[in-house]
Amino acid sequence: MTNPDSQNQALTTAQKVELSLKKRYRAEARFKAFGLASICFGLLALVVLFSNIIGNGIGAFQQTDIQLEVTFDKDTLEIDDASDAQQLAIANFDGVIKNALKARFPDVKSRRDKRLLYGMISIGASFDLRDYLKAHPEKLGSTETLWLLADDDYDTYYKTLKAGEPFVGRMNEKQQAWVQSLLDNEQMKSSFNTRFFTSGDSAEPELAGILGALVGSLLTLLVTLLLSFPIGVAAAIYLEEYAKKTKLTDFIEVNINNLAAVPSVIFGLLGLAIFLNFFNMPRSIPLVGGLVLTLMTLPTIIISSRAAIKAVPPSIREAALGMGASKMQMILHHVLPLAMPGMLTGAIIGMAQALGETAPLLMIGMVAFIVDIPGGVTDPATVLPVQIFLWADSPERAFTERTSAAIMVLLAFLITMNALAIWLRKRLERRW
Amino acid sequence: MTEAALKEAKQPSEINLESGPDAGEHQTVGAPFHDNAKITVRNVDVFYADKQAVFDVSLDIGKNEVIAMIGPSGCGKSTFLRCLNRMNDTIDICRVTGSIKLEEKEILDTKIDVVPLRAEVGMVFQKPNPFPKSIYDNVAYGPRIHGLASRRSELDEIVETSLQKAGLWNEVKDRLHAPGTGLSGGQQQRLCIARTIAVSPEVILMDEPCSALDPIATAKIEELIAELSENFTIAIVTHSMQQAARVSNRTAYFHMGKLIEVNETEQVFTNPDHKLTEAYITGRFG
Amino acid sequence: MDTLHLDQHISAQFNEDLEHLRTKLLEMGGLVEDQLKDAVKAIETADGALAEKVIETEKEVDQREMALDQESITILARRQPAASDLRLVMMVTKATRDLERVGDEANKIAKMAIALNAEGSDGGRGYVELRHLAANVIRVLNTVLDAFARYDVESAMDVVREDKIIDTEYKSAVREMITYMMEDPRAISRVMNIMWALRALERIGDHARNIAEQVIYLVHGTDVRHISIGDIERALESKR
Repeated sequence: MTNPDSQNQALTTAQKVELSLKKRYRAEARFKAFGLASICFGLLALVVLFSNIIGNGIGAFQQTDIQLEVTFDKDTLEIDDASDAQQLAIANFDGVIKNALKARFPDVKSRRDKRLLYGMISIGASFDLRDYLKAHPEKLGSTETLWLLADDDYDTYYKTLKAGEPFVGRMNEKQQAWVQSLLDNEQMKSSFNTRFFTSGDSAEPELAGILGALVGSLLTLLVTLLLSFPIGVAAAIYLEEYAKKTKLTDFIEVNINNLAAVPSVIFGLLGLAIFLNFFNMPRSIPLVGGLVLTLMTLPTIIISSRAAIKAVPPSIREAALGMGASKMQMILHHVLPLAMPGMLTGAIIGMAQALGETAPLLMIGMVAFIVDIPGGVTDPATVLPVQIFLWADSPERAFTERTSAAIMVLLAFLITMNALAIWLRKRLERRW
Repeated sequence: MTEAALKEAKQPSEINLESGPDAGEHQTVGAPFHDNAKITVRNVDVFYADKQAVFDVSLDIGKNEVIAMIGPSGCGKSTFLRCLNRMNDTIDICRVTGSIKLEEKEILDTKIDVVPLRAEVGMVFQKPNPFPKSIYDNVAYGPRIHGLASRRSELDEIVETSLQKAGLWNEVKDRLHAPGTGLSGGQQQRLCIARTIAVSPEVILMDEPCSALDPIATAKIEELIAELSENFTIAIVTHSMQQAARVSNRTAYFHMGKLIEVNETEQVFTNPDHKLTEAYITGRFG
Repeated sequence: MDTLHLDQHISAQFNEDLEHLRTKLLEMGGLVEDQLKDAVKAIETADGALAEKVIETEKEVDQREMALDQESITILARRQPAASDLRLVMMVTKATRDLERVGDEANKIAKMAIALNAEGSDGGRGYVELRHLAANVIRVLNTVLDAFARYDVESAMDVVREDKIIDTEYKSAVREMITYMMEDPRAISRVMNIMWALRALERIGDHARNIAEQVIYLVHGTDVRHISIGDIERALESKR
């Protein structure tokens, strides 16, 4: 009966479990901690990215104005009737601004300094003055105290001055002294930059806005959604419900899956070859962009729609068929409503992908510099990611700021789109 | 004296359960035919691709009778049941040969439209599968797609009588527009029965209608089956032999795709004709 | 010979339950058989002690009847047996009652033995008939238990046929007894006791026949009660 293992065997199962328990709990705690650490890392990366973008871009929502005494002098303007639109169009508002600047800084004499002084006010200010005079034709000949848009260099300098950061721009000491004099007389101020949201692109940073790209993106996505969703869903329904399992359908399925993984620039080339070269469609228009993005998002939508259709319980199909519903009735009454939330999810993913896509659009010329806001799908346009790409490429410091701001707008657009989709999904789901 | 006798009696003599009935040549024992047949099945074979699932079944289903089909899993009873309203059409590889007549009409005729057929031969499935719609819409679905009601009031009446027949009216009359999926399992199954009888079929097929239900809900469905048999012909596939014994007039026993025995239920459960039936219902194999 | 494959259920416990039921019935049968043999022997040998023993055994038979009934009900409730299993359980409950009655009848015979003892011997008039009938009845009882143990329909049929003969023998023995009583009125109460014993034996024969009919029902599922032997044979013929 004396057993060398008797000590060991004396332990009951419960005791053995007890011994291993601590080890197990430690392992579990490690496992949990690892997951938590991953989430923290992700969140940290997100916070850094966001704070960087917001930190860089927040300035773009502010513009700098300079107060000047502007005299709408008939001789300088070279017009005699402010209510005549034709005269206004050719009027020399630049001269008015130059006179106002000369009047404000009478000390400036040299040619070089004068050029620098005239650069203080944005070239966009003359358009503002024209609009002002158009609205108040009776002001012709009178002198008004007006806030005029500052040039981007002065704008950047003023913002760094306010933030107390060291300045590394293109400003000499004279210019800095002018700004100081303006500041002393409270003739320089910041205001909300509505122009950023209401105008198209421009070579001058202080005049450049995002609206053109935003509308371009919206139109492109609209075309994409209207084409890819019905086509994708119809294809998915046919493949899932009607197509017999043959070599051909297998082949099609494999190809759809492959297409989803094809680099997007290939779709751009395809669009270039087909829509532009073969069908001779114009370049840079949202219609072509939408068509190209449709090609790109179709596989995603087909795959997710098929998954959603597959997820509809077969018992529901059987129930419908067993009641004597035809196949189409079964699909329209039961399968589609149940699959719709899943299909929408697929469409959202596809749309989000399309919204952020740059490469295929570069191929079809949506990278062009377009100042006008597109009024339809056949007007030349650019889109948000391409706009970001263009601005990020520009040398002016003020464009850096605008790049970040455009990214913020893009993100906001994305979030709005997703929120809308989630809301839609919830609504559809509530129909049980 | 008894010792020796006991020993001798205990010598097992094997039933050959594995091979089943002789392939090719087999005869259904008992009484597969009926004087007043609603459905006449003759020499039906069912194939899944190359695999034969049902072998040469001939059977009559009498008017207003409840016939139970029992047998071990994979014996072909559900497959056979699904032939009766051509639900097997939904499976591409499934092929049915032979003859099934609903009164005078040949069901297996490819020219026949399955839509009206399924209105005549309704089906209740294993898992309660109400549509994810309201109780009212569930019941009204069949009449709507078949255009049975021309006015709203007519539809309301169909819904009410169907729910009453299914014994569900009192439980749901105050919440007809609540989702059908919110009911309990037993209520859902009765809703499915109400949905089926709303198109007033002549035959109701039930494929293990109680397998997902608790005993009380099962008892209610069984009670309902007894009531429905006054107006409908019912064919029920069930895994529960007790259920077959309780609800059916006749019982058909399937084994490995063959119809082994059809007899009055009393006889099947007290003194079956075939050894395999006996072995199955007494739990000698499963 | 048809067998019932009682040991081929998926549930081993069910096999055991049914086997146990069967064994218990056979044991009870054996007990009752011994009781009957003892009772008859008690009359023949005027053995009062043996008769007392028979009466004692009666209590155990009653206990066994109740135990078997309980077991049958348990199986019905827990297993819901069907077909041959159901027939076995039903047959056992019925056969149990028949065996218990046989025990009662053996008891009566034992009581007659005590009564005969008390009256004293008178050369054994009527004993020949009693012994003859008793031998037949004991054999029939043995055969029917054997038939049950082997599920032997042929033996069971023999018992059914034998019962007719026992009935005839009983009738002639009764006539014999009446003759005795007419010859010697002083012996009337003695002969009456023997007549009661004969009647008990005849009843045991009936019970044996009942059990035999149950055995046939068990094996073939055919109810052969209350029909003529010819009809039974025809019914069994069609089963083959």
